[in-house]
Amino acid sequence: MASQLKVDTLTGVTTAGSIDVTGEGNSTTTNLQQGLAKSWVNFNGTGTIAARDSFNASLTDGGTGDYVLNFSNVMSDANYSVTGSSSVLIGNFETMFVPNFKPPGTETASTTSAFQFAVLRPSTTQPYDVPYVYVQVHGDLA
Amino acid sequence: MASILRVNTLTDASSGNSTAMSTINQGTAKAWINFNGSGTIAERDSFNNASITDNGTGDYTVTITSAMANVNYAHVGAAGQGNTALLCLCQNFDLAAPTTTVSRYQTPYVNGVMLDATSVNVALHGDLA
Repeated sequence: MASQLKVDTLTGVTTAGSIDVTGEGNSTTTNLQQGLAKSWVNFNGTGTIAARDSFNASLTDGGTGDYVLNFSNVMSDANYSVTGSSSVLIGNFETMFVPNFKPPGTETASTTSAFQFAVLRPSTTQPYDVPYVYVQVHGDLA
Repeated sequence: MASILRVNTLTDASSGNSTAMSTINQGTAKAWINFNGSGTIAERDSFNNASITDNGTGDYTVTITSAMANVNYAHVGAAGQGNTALLCLCQNFDLAAPTTTVSRYQTPYVNGVMLDATSVNVALHGDLA
């Protein structure tokens, strides 16, 4: 029989921040908190940058192809995993998403509340603004 | 005491944001990692990661603990290195096809030459075994 649980907050019994969920194959469990993306954004990186949709993210424009994602709810450390991609609307320009990189060539460190990333054109190694940038973050919330 | 709750759908107390358990299963990453791939490679943080192996310059193997159900899972990733090294993160299928527990990644510079990345980030989405 189908069932529905109405609840605002799920909390683990043994450890408040740890709930296991049975995997698709019914033989393994995965950790709900660890699997959840802690932040994501889809934004327009041209002109006045603007998020189309997001979760736990606000953006700062650092210049051409240079962005900072700021968390509303901070992470517990700076060791989270950042993955992303970018694309242009038309044309044949290739794009590359590079975490912890501030154009024209400085490596930056993540913090618990923000991280730097850049979008560059590989063939010219130059940063440039693109209309579609997608970012997701996995790690531990504070 | 540990407990198991069997339910098909989670809904907030106001009957909004109804989410099927299948969506929660499918929507959560089954593994992720952030590691330093330069010098002696070292994991910064991860989930469901068993080990990382250094195969050479810009060439790494990630092994997960709980296996995937098949090899059709999605790899998403990004890599970076300081100064002017613009690195891709590639899952080179021809070099080493992924298995249900092992995936090999390379971080080439834009000219195709492998370079070690100081920041290698990967997340896997798919079905657990």
